[in-house]
Amino acid sequence: MPRLALHSLTRGTVRGVKKETPDTFTLLFELGDGRTPADFMAGQFNMLYVFGVGEVPISVASFGREEHVMHTIRSVGRVTSLLTALPPGSHVGVRGPFGNGWPLAEAKGKQLLVIAGGLGLPPLRPVIEGAIAEPGRFDGMKVMYGARTPADLIYTYEYPRWQAANGCDLLLTVDRGASDWRGNVGVVTTLFPKAGIDPGRAVAFMCGPELMLKFSILELTKMGVPAERIFVSLERNMSCATGTCGHCQLGPLFICRDGPVFGYPRVRGLFPREGV
Amino acid sequence: MHYTVPKGSITGLFRNLQNLGYTVVGPSLSEGVVRLRELTGPADLAAGVVDVQAPGRYSLGKEAPLVFSSVNGPDSPKRYLHPADVELSRLIDGGGCIESVSGFHSNRKYAFFGIRPCDLRAVGVMDRTMLMPGFEDRVYSALRNGAIFIVVNCTRAGENCFCASMGTGPGAESGYDVSITELPEVLLVDVPKRSASLFQGIELKPATKAELRAGEEMVQRARDQMGRRIAEQDPSKQMYAAMDSPAWGRVAERCLSCGNCTMVCPTCFCNTVIDRNDLRDGSVSRVRVWDSCLSKDFVYSAGGNPRLQRMSRYRQFVMHKFAYWPDEFGTYGCVGCGRCITWCPVGIDIAETVNSVLRDQLAAEKKMEAHHVA
Repeated sequence: MPRLALHSLTRGTVRGVKKETPDTFTLLFELGDGRTPADFMAGQFNMLYVFGVGEVPISVASFGREEHVMHTIRSVGRVTSLLTALPPGSHVGVRGPFGNGWPLAEAKGKQLLVIAGGLGLPPLRPVIEGAIAEPGRFDGMKVMYGARTPADLIYTYEYPRWQAANGCDLLLTVDRGASDWRGNVGVVTTLFPKAGIDPGRAVAFMCGPELMLKFSILELTKMGVPAERIFVSLERNMSCATGTCGHCQLGPLFICRDGPVFGYPRVRGLFPREGV
Repeated sequence: MHYTVPKGSITGLFRNLQNLGYTVVGPSLSEGVVRLRELTGPADLAAGVVDVQAPGRYSLGKEAPLVFSSVNGPDSPKRYLHPADVELSRLIDGGGCIESVSGFHSNRKYAFFGIRPCDLRAVGVMDRTMLMPGFEDRVYSALRNGAIFIVVNCTRAGENCFCASMGTGPGAESGYDVSITELPEVLLVDVPKRSASLFQGIELKPATKAELRAGEEMVQRARDQMGRRIAEQDPSKQMYAAMDSPAWGRVAERCLSCGNCTMVCPTCFCNTVIDRNDLRDGSVSRVRVWDSCLSKDFVYSAGGNPRLQRMSRYRQFVMHKFAYWPDEFGTYGCVGCGRCITWCPVGIDIAETVNSVLRDQLAAEKKMEAHHVA
């Protein structure tokens, strides 16, 4: 079980930077306290701190057997625009890990559906890599990933390896195609009929924009996947990460402390629901 | 064990508290308002001051011949246990890494003197969030651990009070270090064994049956006086069903989204950490300040803003108190102190909100039923 460093800042030194899209970058960190990706569970998040500017919650994208702790960050605000501009050798403050992570045990031996939209893929990357590293763990894995345009797809350099992996199917879709796009066009749910989903033994892990989650839940339910086997990772404004600031509250739940991963029955009625 | 002491023994009580190392905090008159202030002696107490409150109104009335004459001002122990502006750490960029040069530290012991039963219960509510096992807040726990509470039972209800509905007053039943009921001539005090040192040098006379009864009757009078109430016995479950009640929008039309309610609320804990850069030495102070769920950007994140509508923000404030808190901890987040009603610039009444939300929901359900029957 990883140590829970509620308040202490660990040094995170940038050891590698990859440009995913024009505004999204993957950073590899070496931690000053010697912790490695094995100390973080799939689905947890860290708070990354830029000195004198502020902190943001970012999912852990690395898989336990990798060398560096990986974070994929889109430049949208004050802190993330600085994070995505960090050159190798520079450092940030790291607080974490926080959150509960994906219920991998519940999916063991079942058909695993990995459903992601946009930047919902990073917290699921360790799940995908874990399944590929241990082929017998799930009874097949369907990765269904959607982005706005082909240029918004991330981790494209991993796709050939994922596609070639035993028991793994990767299905991609974009909202708007491009001249060189031969793949599926449409929202992520348009992939469901093509994926060979077996509702009787499927377990779904999903992360992405709220609308995407809403319609994915609806479709899976229609197909006969029970609510108990649908898990969502929710995004809110996690600010303290310790359940004491109120920013990420969803009804009686604090996403940082009680989540970010929830079985659908736990959040039904509160999510997806406007204004809660 | 209940005793009586002369009213003058407050001086001795103050001295004992100070000798034991406590910083005494209690009601004190400041610019026409009874605030909770650090007191140097009994003379600083707002003795005789009577507050007159109404929705959106606070003023002072005729003096009363009592030591504990005012009900609730805008401050609660929250101001001291969960400060509005507190430095969590000071950091420097040491070249190779960010170093912490100082962190929050306090060995201050507060004695809250003359707070009301609702506020004592509010501390208990705040404890659930700020002292949750595994997630203890270091600032709150440091300040809370040293604190003691000398509670004064209410013998007069404020115009906006509804503690009787919330089961938090007007008398304190437990959780205090000393409780006081002010009788006309003497103070009736309940002193648990662990608090004996606070009364060193003060003669404690065992209370007579008549004195005990007089105290009970005076507290009962405050209960009977309370005009404001929550109509439902236990509204928490119905609140979820009433989340789409038309009453929310009606109330929110008046709401200015100013956040006053959350600032004066004794259980609202929301906060934000900001970086204050010191240009002289390049250090950064990480400061925690109070924040409010009524603020438009409070839940903004890269994924969007789930509460852009003012109605949804106002509903969050009320639902948190009356539905989410009961779900999370089995206790209401509202203690019925009435502060949010008094200090709301447009006088929105939270008790009336809960009542009308549930009433409208019930009416809507009845209409549906009638429709089905027809």
